[in-house]
Amino acid sequence: MRIVADRARCEGHGLCADVAPEVYELDDDAIVVLLHETVPPELERKAEGGARVCPVAALRVEA
Amino acid sequence: MRSVVVVGGSIAALTAVETLRMADFDGRITVLSDEDLPPYTRVPLSKGVLAGRETADDVVLAPLSDEVDLHLRTPATGLDTDNRVVLTPAGPVRYDGLVIATGARARRIGTANQAERVLRSYDEGLRLRDSLAQASSVLVVGGGFLGMEIASTARALGKDVTVVDLAPPLDRLLGTAVGGHVRTVAARAGVRFVLTHGGVRLLGAPFPTGVETADGQRFEADLVVSAVGDVPNVEWLAGSGLPVAGGVLVDERCRVSPHVVAAGDVAVFTTGDGALTRIPSWTNAVEQARAAAKALLHGDDAPAYRPSRYSWTEQFGLDVKMVGAGDPQGEPVVLDGSLDAGRALLAWPDATAPQTVVAVNHPTPPAKLKRLLARPAMEAAAC
Repeated sequence: MRIVADRARCEGHGLCADVAPEVYELDDDAIVVLLHETVPPELERKAEGGARVCPVAALRVEA
Repeated sequence: MRSVVVVGGSIAALTAVETLRMADFDGRITVLSDEDLPPYTRVPLSKGVLAGRETADDVVLAPLSDEVDLHLRTPATGLDTDNRVVLTPAGPVRYDGLVIATGARARRIGTANQAERVLRSYDEGLRLRDSLAQASSVLVVGGGFLGMEIASTARALGKDVTVVDLAPPLDRLLGTAVGGHVRTVAARAGVRFVLTHGGVRLLGAPFPTGVETADGQRFEADLVVSAVGDVPNVEWLAGSGLPVAGGVLVDERCRVSPHVVAAGDVAVFTTGDGALTRIPSWTNAVEQARAAAKALLHGDDAPAYRPSRYSWTEQFGLDVKMVGAGDPQGEPVVLDGSLDAGRALLAWPDATAPQTVVAVNHPTPPAKLKRLLARPAMEAAAC
């Protein structure tokens, strides 16, 4: 599984990192940073959960 | 618990589903949504969608897993808690555990023969977008976050914009210092503000084209939009025996009754002083839904819900993020920058124990804003 982050769309609300800190971080400008190029299988549900709470739909899940 | 039914199709419903899955709940999950669209974010409706820059593809959230049974255009019409059945036009749906996340709808102030324009759902967003494109003047009734965001988008499209409210717009939410700053920027952008004593009456039918204030003043526009709050969707719970008081009443773990939890705009809870409150915001829907799903799985062992009280608005080129108590009183302490310079980090009532922190065009991540807040002693000890 891959997560695609639209960094131009990201507004830095940080809900992804709240839900799944193992997958998402915010940089110093409060823009999302992905911690894994490919999401390890054991983190897939957390990665999806973090993607779905983004209020500006900046995170896409690719199988 | 082998099956969970989630009633609702927005962020609280979605978060409840994701929380169950992250906790490795392997029973059946059924989602009943009355929407035409799969779960989407309402946040861009007053911005990109209203401006005509974004469509459904931009607002729909990452799709639910195939393991989740999502029924669109399926409103819940009743609830039988004795037999644990949700009633729908397509037939009854049985549950072991129920998540109520039916949200709220736009409050209306018009009469039955008026096709009042409101903005809450994607469909309403599209209708308002089309009406706005045809209009040269817009009157927004209500100056909360939504009303002011609509005003901002309309002004950016070159419309003549007036905002009507009972109190100075945004003060009740952001306090007078930041509220005043945003109004100054909005006024500089050309927005006109009208303060009224008492409510207004919408004029014109079927589409309102003006308002009349209690003292008889009239204001007219090509398009009138009402942004006057929301009403929880609880009618389907009539006769269910569940406690309803301006929303579904939940306890400190978002539980309603055995096997039933509720989250999001539909949920009402008791604050420390005994008052009932709802927090109809995106962040709160996420936080309540996480607590509710965990309480459904773990009962008293689940962590209690603690609102982070994070909210935000974007308008007139200003990005305002707030944590802590709303309507901060008096002048803030400036932690960085300044409002006059257009970029500021502000705290109330002081810098040592802030109860509210606001960032205006300041890139501090919300997690950092939350850490700046003073925490009650008990909460701090628990962390």
